[in-house]
Amino acid sequence: MQMVAETQERSKAGPVFGNGERANRLKATRFGGKLVNDYWESLFAAKEQGKKVVWYNGTYIPPFFHAHDVAWVHGEAWSAMLSAKHREVTAQARGDQKGYDRELCSYARTHIGQLLIELDKVKSGTSDMAPDDPRIETLLKLPPPDMIINAYPYCSSGQQWDDITYRLFGKKVPMMTISIPLLWGGRPDAGYLRGEEWHERSRYVADQLVAMTKFMEEHTGRKFDFDRLSEVMGYIKKAAQLRLEAMDLCTAQPSPASFFDWIVSIAPVNFLPGDQNIVTYFEGVLAECKERIARGEGAVKDEKYRLFFDGMMNWNKVGWLADKFAAVNACVVAGRYTHMSFWQEPELIDLENPVLGMAQNYLICPNNHGAPIMIGEIERICDKFKIDGMVMHAARTCRGMTNSQFLIADSAKRHGRQALFFEGDVADESFYKDELLNVRLEAMVEALDAKARAA
Amino acid sequence: MDEILATMAAVAADPLGYARQWKQETQGRVIGLFPMHFPGELAHAAGALPVILQEDDEPVTVGQAQVFNFYCGYNRSIIDQALRGEFEVLDAILFGDHCVQLLGTADVIRASLPKLPILFNQLCSILDAEWAKAETTRTFSQLWKELEALIGQPITPTQVQASIRLFNRNRALIRQLYDLRRAGQIALTGRQMQDVVKSSMVMDRAQHTALLEKLVPGLERRGPPADAVRVFLSGHLCHAPKLPVLDLVEECGGVVVDDDLYHGFRFVFWDVAETGDPVEALADWYQLRSTKVPCPTRAVKSLDWEDYLLRNVRASGAQGLIVLMAKFCEPHMYFYPEIKDAFDRNGIPHLLVETEHEEMPMEALKTRVETFIEIARRRMAA
Repeated sequence: MQMVAETQERSKAGPVFGNGERANRLKATRFGGKLVNDYWESLFAAKEQGKKVVWYNGTYIPPFFHAHDVAWVHGEAWSAMLSAKHREVTAQARGDQKGYDRELCSYARTHIGQLLIELDKVKSGTSDMAPDDPRIETLLKLPPPDMIINAYPYCSSGQQWDDITYRLFGKKVPMMTISIPLLWGGRPDAGYLRGEEWHERSRYVADQLVAMTKFMEEHTGRKFDFDRLSEVMGYIKKAAQLRLEAMDLCTAQPSPASFFDWIVSIAPVNFLPGDQNIVTYFEGVLAECKERIARGEGAVKDEKYRLFFDGMMNWNKVGWLADKFAAVNACVVAGRYTHMSFWQEPELIDLENPVLGMAQNYLICPNNHGAPIMIGEIERICDKFKIDGMVMHAARTCRGMTNSQFLIADSAKRHGRQALFFEGDVADESFYKDELLNVRLEAMVEALDAKARAA
Repeated sequence: MDEILATMAAVAADPLGYARQWKQETQGRVIGLFPMHFPGELAHAAGALPVILQEDDEPVTVGQAQVFNFYCGYNRSIIDQALRGEFEVLDAILFGDHCVQLLGTADVIRASLPKLPILFNQLCSILDAEWAKAETTRTFSQLWKELEALIGQPITPTQVQASIRLFNRNRALIRQLYDLRRAGQIALTGRQMQDVVKSSMVMDRAQHTALLEKLVPGLERRGPPADAVRVFLSGHLCHAPKLPVLDLVEECGGVVVDDDLYHGFRFVFWDVAETGDPVEALADWYQLRSTKVPCPTRAVKSLDWEDYLLRNVRASGAQGLIVLMAKFCEPHMYFYPEIKDAFDRNGIPHLLVETEHEEMPMEALKTRVETFIEIARRRMAA
């Protein structure tokens, strides 16, 4: 526990780097913290309320769970939450003890490690938490699943993660796996949201989603309500539209919000319940962006450089990285993870019959396109937001997001943009190398200055 | 027989060299396949030489510019070979497995060799799904169409059935070698068995089958040394373990009696039906593969790799299990603890060897293998 406390202390301190400026984070996102806490609290009460609990991994399928009135645990969100609160170390150590290699996806290692801790408690008869436990201890109480559903676009590791979860529960929890295949884009008519492959794969995934509703019906004994799904999706579609509208405002210079504001805004469009709260959240974010533009206020003081973040988020370092870039007057305006995922094509969703459009949004997650189409979309976003340089997070255990990063950097350079790489990970802080990022970031901003002087 | 084994060893050592020579002699197409479940029969029926693309022994150099060092040796080597121009002999690449690292590799190849067609048709990896058969049939039908477009002429079902028969015969002959080795009637080393299987992934199947037709009956009937500890090798799901690692088992007093390596029994254990619709037959072959030798990259709820290993280690009379895990192989990293726990529970000696593309610390490994062999020997005597 001492190690955990030290890690927390270290992470609270800002990076000793740059001019000392810190990120000017959106105030509206604080409401998201409340929503996330409410979500976890209601999740922990799910069993007492007689609700079935689904553990799932992969894409944003909770609207189906919400519509069917079952509670849901997103494994990645769980691991990200533990990491963001610097509580991942114990879980990962338990995974190590079982024999999981630390080169394995750290999301999975954290999630499985925590699962093993919970199973240890059950076996030793110490699973009940005292009512006066500190809040974080309550957050560590993971409700066991009644169903497991896996729906991972692109990443084979994600599918294997739940194959192990299923086995750790002694194969006693029913599991369903949905295949969301890569859009390779090799046929002559291939393109973004078009072509034979796109239409064929959309239908394939949609059919599996319908099969998933049958699976839930079978294991709850209740009929799935597609009208309720449309209702839930109504809120999500509205929230997604508001999110995109607010993101678009970041073409302004200075940008009113940064990638890190969009990072903390993922939960509402990823796994929080689809209700009025998420619409309210993005209304707040949009309003604040507009206010900032009216005042000429940026997410970073004296914005000089506009950057794009490629790769999976380093969940141990959200605030740390936000401040680091602010300290060199660099605003990370957009990113692949934030801007190319999470209902980024809401107009595909027909609220009368939303399943096909949902499948299509799942298919276009930020790495599920072959490189040519994906990189084309990245360049489009970079042009739109007038990006000067790319920050490539080489997340050690996330091959899904490190694939193609060299191609992305090559493309950026061809388009006149700088690119730097830094080492880190999604949920294992030990892979993060702060000094390497410092040196490379300093070099990048110097190069950008030189370029500006030469122009 | 030594000459046949030497021929196979030479092809296994230089697969693309063989492909270049074959192409020069026949003017035919060479089609590269990525492991591990994609059938070569359709490419063969298209008149091409299907070659499973192999890791080579060269250190990764130019490839470093396009792949991180936390990717497995197979993927890093393949990218390096592509950037070194080794794949100029290829007329196309086919694959269907969705290993996340391999998907990235394929994209790098597409960017580096833009004129090389890459036909990707993702196989359904959830083999017990209701839709698995229909989706697999669709996948192979699509591949059939794309291959016809590639060669500019139709591929008939009769041609595919002929290829299936030839591939089946080839696999059956290699399985006979496995049966003889398990029964202690022949003394093929780990290195020799790898050469046999690896060369079958590369050579013209008819030529390779003709060699096997002579090798199987012609091999001297003699067992391994009586005091050797019988070892089962497991793992290495995509590429061949380094030959010195295999040699080490024998140098330390062991003998390999069985395996589930991709460059081993995993590649040959199952045949395609020779009658009926060939697409249906290939789909059935693919779907039923995991029921025989479970694969951690396929989701099948009722099957467990460790159960298979326990069963087959016992059936082969092996006294211990050596797990060869390619560093950074995610499916293997997920499932290894299941294997370890099962073998611990059953009191069967086992050893994990993590392998790398670059130099391995062979002296340190030798000490570990010697210790393992000694433990297995004492366990047997107790």
